[in-house]
Amino acid sequence: MSAEAVAATTPAKTDGWEPKIVAFCCNWCSYGGADSAGMGRFQQPASTRIIRVMCSGRIDPLHVFNAFLEGADAVLVTGCHIGDCHYVNGNDKTKIKYKYLENVVRELGIEKERLQLNWISASEGERFANFIRDVTAQIKKLGPSPLKPEGVA
Amino acid sequence: MQKGEMYVGWSTKDDVRKRGGSGGLVTSMLAAALEKKFVDAVVVLKKINEFEAVPIITSDVNEVLNSAGSLHSVPSNFAKLIANRNLKVALPAKGCDVRGIIEQGKRNAINLDNTFIVGLNCGGSMHPVVTREMLEVMYKIKPEDVHGEEIEKGKLIFETKDGKEHAITIDELEEKGYGRRESCRYCTIKVPNNSDIACGNWGVTGDLVGKATFVEINSEKGAKLLQNAVDAGYVQVQKPDEKGVAMRAKIKGVMEDLGKKWKGKVFVPIENGRLEYFRKELEHCIDCGACKTVCPTCSCGDVSKCTEYHFRGDAYKMSMYHLVRFLHLADACIGCGQCSDVCPADIPLTRLYRRFANPVQEQLKYEPGMDMQKPPYFEVKLNE
Repeated sequence: MSAEAVAATTPAKTDGWEPKIVAFCCNWCSYGGADSAGMGRFQQPASTRIIRVMCSGRIDPLHVFNAFLEGADAVLVTGCHIGDCHYVNGNDKTKIKYKYLENVVRELGIEKERLQLNWISASEGERFANFIRDVTAQIKKLGPSPLKPEGVA
Repeated sequence: MQKGEMYVGWSTKDDVRKRGGSGGLVTSMLAAALEKKFVDAVVVLKKINEFEAVPIITSDVNEVLNSAGSLHSVPSNFAKLIANRNLKVALPAKGCDVRGIIEQGKRNAINLDNTFIVGLNCGGSMHPVVTREMLEVMYKIKPEDVHGEEIEKGKLIFETKDGKEHAITIDELEEKGYGRRESCRYCTIKVPNNSDIACGNWGVTGDLVGKATFVEINSEKGAKLLQNAVDAGYVQVQKPDEKGVAMRAKIKGVMEDLGKKWKGKVFVPIENGRLEYFRKELEHCIDCGACKTVCPTCSCGDVSKCTEYHFRGDAYKMSMYHLVRFLHLADACIGCGQCSDVCPADIPLTRLYRRFANPVQEQLKYEPGMDMQKPPYFEVKLNE
């Protein structure tokens, strides 16, 4: 059963609630991937706020924490496939940095669906749209993030 | 003398030998290094009373000789003390001190070539305030009356001024929440093989018990330091007997197993409400930054990423300061326990930091402070 099917059969925690998802996209790959998702007319929920960075290696774990503390329900870290980095090994560094980040976020007791890493190239528009759709469905099931400040939708 | 060799040694000065923890070898070795201009300075603890001492950097040989004697209830950590000072220094160090010094070395704050680390076997140290309380509650004696203290055969013995000895087993004390600091209980670095020369009383046999120190040389620097002390006539050494070597290895193994057992006991996985647990523990934080100031692996200085988030007046559910610290310490925490000791709000910070550090360090197979291996992040190589 796909994530969508699961989401369709289980009632959402809050009716009409749309999750807020922050996606960090690398300028050379996943940002292009988001573009080609639009050009290819692949449908995706309007739950994502994309933040463009020049390289996934630029994503400081602080950015992720800040996003959570400001009220993001999920944070996505996306970049080029390993070996395709525009800056030679930026995404290799992302990979290691993400391991730390992942462990800290998990240990804090935040569900694993709320922080995800994915490698998406500029031509993979469909993959990007599917990824966003899957994550949105997963988060809808989980409900709002426990780190969301009071009074933030 | 060379790396890997073991000796049993003692001070040739009768006074130091009598006062010293076990034969006064370390004190004499440090004094000899200073006397023969081997180093410019030595770090020692200047004793105020049984529960208080101040670390000093000194070039005075007499000051060093006067420092003989062990202080189990004064946890010290010298890494930050000698960082960014560019000294040629020799210093005694527990396992966690050594790890801190090596971590500062990696961060270019200490020149390890100029630092002679005399490692001390350590089964754990005690918090001075907790020790005072323990004396009143468990031993029923006044802290002011204590004259000396010793750990022997799993018992913590206090000697009062009237010459009486009071002994209670450490297990019993720890059951009641006293005894060693929590980080010491689950520490598994009992013999500091990451230092230049590891000294301790484990492995001393026969009539030398209590009067000599067992020494293992871990590096060329350590060999030079000991050779210097022998040449200067401060220290006398002999080869250890096989029984002693075996006994030392056995004690080390037993202590490490005990540490591992404690680790399992302290870090019980929290299934539900982990976020609530951390939020509750950090609730009392007053943003003083003492945990960062004292942290022996932190080398950021006054202006740093984490302290940027003090007093932000935001409505965040968790302090950003702590999140940054959790992350930075995930691969750097050596579990020395200093942060818990200094916290004015009594937050068990070491336990919190270790909760994040344990899985990360296990997963990345990286143990900070044990050798010069850089953190995994810096090991990313350029392709081709």
